[in-house]
Amino acid sequence: MREVYVVGIGITSFTRLEYPLSEIAAFPAMVALKDAGLSKVDHVYVANMGSARLNHQTGLASAVVDTLSLTPAGAEVIENGPASGASAIKQGFMAVASGLHDTVLVTSAERLREVNNLEATDVVASLSHPLAEYIYGVTLPSLAAMFTRLYMQKYGVTERHLAMVAVKNHDNALLNFFAHLHEKITLEGILDSPEAMTNNPYVAEPLRFFDCCPVSDGGAAVILASAEVAKQLNKPMIRLAGVGQATDTHCVHERAEPTDLLAVRGAAAKAFQMAGVSPSDVNVAELHDAFTILEIVESEEVGFFKKGEGHLALERGETRLGGRLPINTSGGLKAKGHPVGATGVGQAHEIVLQLRGEADKRQVKDARIGFTCNFGGFGNNVVCLVFKREN
Amino acid sequence: MAVDLEKILRPVDNPVPPFPPKYMMLAGGEEMVIRQVTRDEIPDILQHVEPLIHVERDYYDVVAARLYSELLAYYRYRVQDEYVLVAQINGELVAVVNGRLLSKDVGMSYHTVALRRGLRVGAHAFATKMEYHIDIIGQKEVLVVAESPIGFRRWMIEYELEKRFHIAHELGGVPSWALTKELFNRARETLVVGRRPVPQHLLEKAQAAILPPTDPPKAPVDLLAATRSLYDSTGTALMSQRWKQEGKA
Amino acid sequence: MALEIYAYQCKKCGQLHYPFRMVCKKCGNLEPFEFNTVALPKNGKLLTFTTVHNLPPDFNVAKLSLGIVELENGMRITGQLKVPSPKIGMAVSGKVEIVREAEYSKNFGMVFYPA
Repeated sequence: MREVYVVGIGITSFTRLEYPLSEIAAFPAMVALKDAGLSKVDHVYVANMGSARLNHQTGLASAVVDTLSLTPAGAEVIENGPASGASAIKQGFMAVASGLHDTVLVTSAERLREVNNLEATDVVASLSHPLAEYIYGVTLPSLAAMFTRLYMQKYGVTERHLAMVAVKNHDNALLNFFAHLHEKITLEGILDSPEAMTNNPYVAEPLRFFDCCPVSDGGAAVILASAEVAKQLNKPMIRLAGVGQATDTHCVHERAEPTDLLAVRGAAAKAFQMAGVSPSDVNVAELHDAFTILEIVESEEVGFFKKGEGHLALERGETRLGGRLPINTSGGLKAKGHPVGATGVGQAHEIVLQLRGEADKRQVKDARIGFTCNFGGFGNNVVCLVFKREN
Repeated sequence: MAVDLEKILRPVDNPVPPFPPKYMMLAGGEEMVIRQVTRDEIPDILQHVEPLIHVERDYYDVVAARLYSELLAYYRYRVQDEYVLVAQINGELVAVVNGRLLSKDVGMSYHTVALRRGLRVGAHAFATKMEYHIDIIGQKEVLVVAESPIGFRRWMIEYELEKRFHIAHELGGVPSWALTKELFNRARETLVVGRRPVPQHLLEKAQAAILPPTDPPKAPVDLLAATRSLYDSTGTALMSQRWKQEGKA
Repeated sequence: MALEIYAYQCKKCGQLHYPFRMVCKKCGNLEPFEFNTVALPKNGKLLTFTTVHNLPPDFNVAKLSLGIVELENGMRITGQLKVPSPKIGMAVSGKVEIVREAEYSKNFGMVFYPA
């Protein structure tokens, strides 16, 4: 298998974008091509979840490859729910590693805000089992909420821990130009003041408004290349060193231990094994905090902390900027935003920025190894990536 | 003669108790004061409502144009029994709500405009308006409509309003919804907040001046300009965005 | 006739599944149509629950409670919850009712009440 390097990155603001979907995918791709110093690539993957239903557009990849004037390069859409982004990167990795292609553009776009919030909730809820979950009114927040209730009972995680994740990630997003929410929040304002419960109402008990990610539009892109190409481009050598994916039951109720996220555990283990590093070697990580609880649980399942102790590490400040292992320096899905199909590529963008030392005010000092966890469905399809700086 | 005609045209307001100011903490830890304004303060508000007339997003244009006329009519004595409440953070105007009395027992809610978004400022201001009608004036119900989908979700669904479709609302003549005293009591615990009395320094700051909103809603602009500017050493992308907002381009 | 929700029992190894799947999770038998239907029990204990405040547009209510219930035979099911103050571990009893209606389509599912 050949080694695969990230040679270019690009991103749009994650916010409400009133542009055609294909342009949201094409723009970060242009930025990434320019960043890499390339004008052509061998193949294009476009990560997207809902274009057919949200934007009335199918065959997005064909539109994107042509609007970028990259024809006749091959192009496909990769759909894997909220993990579409990392899945597309994984496809790009396979194409370069196998020797089939030398340069692959992985771009992504989602435009959820073309529909109203209730409809967007419904589109995302259609990830759940159609007959055993969806018909009851199951939404992603409701699955996360039922999970949170068990986690609180079993491991002593409290609403305060969840709020601490939100405050930390909102603070990080204030340092990220591209983040959706540039809004300072405080524990007093969302938890302790007499008005806090109205400022921060329940979305699905016990999860509150500030425990959930915003509904965002956005796109991000990375360019993957073989070592020979990467060496010619005169960029920091960032290697995509580990790729891991695992799945779990479609229905959340079928899982033997309902507080485990086995797909996260499995995907992370595979990615670390391929990269030949251990979780303790990681300097900076982007975890899929669509809900605040997920940042805590994923930090345990991928192996950064012991099961049931993620919230204690959070309390000690280990995961904030300046801590031992900063998590979600970009603001995470919570505050950077969650354009579903583009999220995984957005995570990779942040890690590459950190490893290059270009993350400005939120730079993690001497970051050499980075990790992303992109979580599809409610943990039924997870893709983890490990990035390494080599020079 | 002119004086006599003005006597005919100028309505006489019914006496109602004034709104006692209150304050609350927002998610970011800032304290927001909600108070009733006098006629003399209306011009200070109008100048911040006017730019919103040109914001073609989430019905800000329609709402701002109507609110502008309602405020102006109040200022120039061409509407009966209207009141205006404002929400301020450190003096900065963040929301305006208004309404009037249809009769002794029924209120007519006009508009709720948030000039800062994402912090439930508008929701707090709307709840306060309902509190004024039901608790302070002592009315039985308030007629409400929404112009924007956001307003509809906030008011009609969160409060589970009752239908009064046989009554045409003053805003556009559309079928009305009603917030009754009973519905308000049910929402009281979760949606209605605020503390009284307002600490002297907060109230004084609010009354001293209505300061302009720091981040008012703006018309859609080039949202990719931020990205472009990173790869644009001359910085023209960001500048052109600013020019667009300032109306220079 | 009381409505039922069915579990699917593998004809080869006897393993029960809910919801339906094409291939047995335990023995991996690839012969088609190798499942018998078995009515799920109605009684069980509440494993976890939530009240959802932001619902998809098909639901004309402000909020709705959902729960995962562990049934008497150890199988689990997600359903709607009509219990005034739910608690983890409480006994509940299910009925098959309409859980979602959109235009002409009616969906039946399990609704749990206090036992």
